[in-house]
Amino acid sequence: MQCKEVEVVLEREGFVPVPEAARAHLSGCSSCRSLIADLTDIVATAHLLPAEVEPPARVWTSLRSQLEAEGIIRSAATRSGWLNFSEFFRPRVWATAAVGLLIVAAAALQFQRPTTQPTEARAYENIYENTSLTLSNDEAQLPAMQLAGISGMDVSLRQNLDIVDKFIIDCEQRVKEQPQDELTREYLSGAYQQKAELISVMMERGGSEN
Amino acid sequence: MSSKMGLKIMGRGLLPVLGVGVLLLPAPPVQAAPQHFERHFAVKGRPVVILQNVANGRIEVKSSKNSEVVVVATQASNKIGVVAEQAEERIDVTATILDNSAPANELEANFTLTVPEETELQLKSQTGLVYVEQVMGDMTLQSVAGDIHLKEVSGYIVVRTTGGSLVCTQCAGKLNFNSISGNAQVLQPGLSSVTLFTMSGNILFDGEFIRTGIYTMKSGKGTVEVHFSGNDSFDLNAQTATGTVDNQAEALLRPDSHGVRHIASRFTKGLFGTVGSGLAKVELSSYSGTIRILKRD
Repeated sequence: MQCKEVEVVLEREGFVPVPEAARAHLSGCSSCRSLIADLTDIVATAHLLPAEVEPPARVWTSLRSQLEAEGIIRSAATRSGWLNFSEFFRPRVWATAAVGLLIVAAAALQFQRPTTQPTEARAYENIYENTSLTLSNDEAQLPAMQLAGISGMDVSLRQNLDIVDKFIIDCEQRVKEQPQDELTREYLSGAYQQKAELISVMMERGGSEN
Repeated sequence: MSSKMGLKIMGRGLLPVLGVGVLLLPAPPVQAAPQHFERHFAVKGRPVVILQNVANGRIEVKSSKNSEVVVVATQASNKIGVVAEQAEERIDVTATILDNSAPANELEANFTLTVPEETELQLKSQTGLVYVEQVMGDMTLQSVAGDIHLKEVSGYIVVRTTGGSLVCTQCAGKLNFNSISGNAQVLQPGLSSVTLFTMSGNILFDGEFIRTGIYTMKSGKGTVEVHFSGNDSFDLNAQTATGTVDNQAEALLRPDSHGVRHIASRFTKGLFGTVGSGLAKVELSSYSGTIRILKRD
């Protein structure tokens, strides 16, 4: 079974529990195992969100327009479904969408109450930690990848990843010191989003698919 | 005499040796022959042109009065494949690398597109410059390391780069720019909506704020600089977490005149004010860089 076939099986049968048909492939494929791990993380994080939190419509609108701008989804006018499910399983989309979901969660928390309470600060901390961990795991896979093509571009991507990493460290430090600093949180969320997109581009260039 | 004879003998003896030596020498590298690609596509209305250049190289787009899209590509070698196809008003052009092991200088493809004045564009480049001039229509332009230069374009303009910078001269409509280390320069614009975000690049906005326009410019570590004219009318909100706000137009800034009392967060340094009647909305922020506001001479 190939990675693409695993995606089809997951799409059809879900991933809890992992379908029998996909198990043999997963035992020998780190990329697909990572996909399952990401999916599990996302679902687990989603369960942690308070049930009453409903992000404002403009958050969804903003997320949707961002995804449209990135070419990840197309508008309803040009496509019948909001998002083709099999396309949604592409690793690049997942990396971006996973972080997007966490950022939506952070935004929802932000809009829930006008001022940040200690419990919310902890919730933020959890979300940021999860996001940071997910991205670090993805980043850790990059050195092993054989980056193909124009080397100058790979150098540029690496340099930019370094810039993002340093900026994230800076913002995380400040958020730890000043959890109620909304401006820094906003920049930190943006930096996570950019890192996810950058890693996705690098993974695609490295040929993450088997 | 003996020396002449000696030379002759040496010449005779050396000739075959040199001949064999020449044959054994490594052949000079064969220069990959440049390839030329040109296609003309007749269109009726407002075409959508999609170009994805996976190879290295620049993309230049200009407009003409003709109802056709002309795609011209110059490839450094045959290690790059160029495909162009038409589906009614959609023109799809793709440059792909056919041989990943080829040296970088052979993986270059430069494109020149000539399109009707009203054309939608979706361009994706890697390292080369993207230059678009005098095109009206929505456009999405993506680049990793290449710069993007736009001149006299209008529409909903979306620009995404990793390290490439944007220079937008006399652009109109709406502009959305997002980059990691690229700079953004917006000069003499007629834009009613501007959203610029760069993590470490600098931002320069030099031009008029259209009444009812909304302008948001953010840089994580870079400078955000705004040059406005005395006739402009806008509400200003400038904030930085650890950077500085350099207000060189203090004389023109008055407290907000719309009854909203702004209070800067205690974690940020902020500046609120109104120029003129405060018709446009201008939001500037930088995490650790400098925000500079000054009046144009």
